[in-house]
Amino acid sequence: MVEDDPKDVELTLTALEDYHLANEVVVVRDGEEALDYLTCRNAYATRSTGNPAVMLLDLKLPKVDGLEVLRQVKSDENLKLIPVVVLTSSHEEKDLVTSYRLGVNAYVVKPVDFHQFVNAIKELGAFWAIINAPPPGS
Amino acid sequence: MARSEPHSQKTMLTVKRYGFAVVSVAVALLPALLLQHFAFHDVELPLFLFAIALTAWHVGGGPAALSIVLSSICFDYYFAPPLHSLRMTPADVPGVAVLVCFAVLITRFSTVRRRIEGDLVQARDKLQVEVAERTQQASLLNLTHDTIFVRDMSDTITYWNRGAEELYGWTAAEAVGKRSHDLLQTVFPESLDNIGAELVRTGRWEGEVRHVKADGTAVMVSSRWSLRRNQANQPLAVLETNNDITERKRREEEVRGLNQELEKRSSALEASNKELEAFAYSVSHDLRAPLRHMVGFAELLQKNAAAQLDQKSQRYMGIILDSAKRMGTLIDDLLAFSRIGRVETQKAPVNLDHLVKEALSEVQPETKGRDIVWKIDKLPDCYGDRSMLRLVLINLLSNAIKFTRPRPKAEIEVGCANGNSNEVVVFVRDNGAGFDMKYVDKLFGVFQRLHHVDAFEGTGIGLATVQRVIHRHGGKVRAEGALDQGATFYFSVPKI
Repeated sequence: MVEDDPKDVELTLTALEDYHLANEVVVVRDGEEALDYLTCRNAYATRSTGNPAVMLLDLKLPKVDGLEVLRQVKSDENLKLIPVVVLTSSHEEKDLVTSYRLGVNAYVVKPVDFHQFVNAIKELGAFWAIINAPPPGS
Repeated sequence: MARSEPHSQKTMLTVKRYGFAVVSVAVALLPALLLQHFAFHDVELPLFLFAIALTAWHVGGGPAALSIVLSSICFDYYFAPPLHSLRMTPADVPGVAVLVCFAVLITRFSTVRRRIEGDLVQARDKLQVEVAERTQQASLLNLTHDTIFVRDMSDTITYWNRGAEELYGWTAAEAVGKRSHDLLQTVFPESLDNIGAELVRTGRWEGEVRHVKADGTAVMVSSRWSLRRNQANQPLAVLETNNDITERKRREEEVRGLNQELEKRSSALEASNKELEAFAYSVSHDLRAPLRHMVGFAELLQKNAAAQLDQKSQRYMGIILDSAKRMGTLIDDLLAFSRIGRVETQKAPVNLDHLVKEALSEVQPETKGRDIVWKIDKLPDCYGDRSMLRLVLINLLSNAIKFTRPRPKAEIEVGCANGNSNEVVVFVRDNGAGFDMKYVDKLFGVFQRLHHVDAFEGTGIGLATVQRVIHRHGGKVRAEGALDQGATFYFSVPKI
């Protein structure tokens, strides 16, 4: 999960708790960290190899922007297999269009209503982590 | 009496002419006889010839012929032997023959001369008429207010009309004889060589030229030149007609300046619009996050501390949560409302019947469990932005459904009212809660509500949105209603 706001991180993890998925989530705080993690660079040079089963990506990130991360991931031979779910506050038309153009797998707008938010996260988690067959190498 | 006058005049003339012939012969005869008496011989013939010549010269061929005949007879009778008889001897024949030939010759010369004279007089008269005509034409050229002048191939002015005097301030006397390009300090739009070439090639040239008047002020003129050629097709002179376009040029400059101003303003407006876009984007994204956290953690708090919170605290929690949610809704509504102003309308022919069906299916969820009687009339096609008009219909239908909730049987009608020739007026009528007409002006205000939140939910943005969209189409909105007696909302859109 690529998310800079700790409160959103907390809410999301709390929601994933119900499916006991919270422990399986790697949280990075900005775009640069995300790319480092995915490419096993710098701080993550020693992590166990393998792609995540799904990436929850916020768009408004410090350092490297969410859309830029998306672009880089979808243009890398190895990384483009990773399903990316954009999870963002923005439902501006142009963000939607750009994300889909870059090949995002899903675009979810974070609802203000907490119940809806929790449901959305739960359904996302259930789908991608349980129902969906992950790509090879995940 | 009058008709016979010219006739008798003509007869008189003929008599005079032939009389002259006779008289001249007689006048020649008398001195001849006299001279014969004084034994001067061979002088008769010339005398008769003289008479014949005189007659031919003054009176013409006919009388001359008569005088020839008379002279021959007289000569034969009086001077040719035998005298006093009309008999001719062979010795007389040469004399008579010479007389006749000479006479005929003189007569011929005379008639030729008379003919030439006649032709000349005719030509002179014709010329006079032509000259009069030309002078009249020339004076017409002077009558016009248009500026016309003529110059020869060395650009010297040969004619300068009154219009030219008025425009340039030089009188004809001052202008004729001067080089036009020097006098007027002409500035040409292209090189003189090019102009000259075109003039020679096509016989014409047109262009805008700068001249300087006698008083020093500059004028722009629209100039048209015509080339005049002589019989040998060589250029002879140039006729130049000018129109003062200084005023027009000044106005064109003004318009150009205004256009530039307009462009600057419109690009400033575009920049301003872009700023607004960025602002709206920021609002949509950045304001929502704290809201979400407020709601999220308040709910978590509710869940976690439910046991420890008393009734009052729980109520306070609820209020906090509701307020946060309401703020979210307000933000969403405001953003949607602003989007209508920001986004370009895409106008096209719109089938209103289809659109109403779409809007109905969109609001279908709101009609669950309700008993609503729909009366949808056929609507004409209109011209506008489909998605925006769809929003208008959805809002109006949604309102109708909402405010008829107190009715066991709701009646909602959608139809077409009488508009003028270039607009379509659509109305949505319901038998719901209605409103007090004295607050009708507030109805379309942003976030304005005439009902209590507990009675009917909503942010009060629906009608404001309707009004904004319709205004962007150049139409009008109107509402009629009465408390507890339903309401009717009208809007107009351009016809196809």
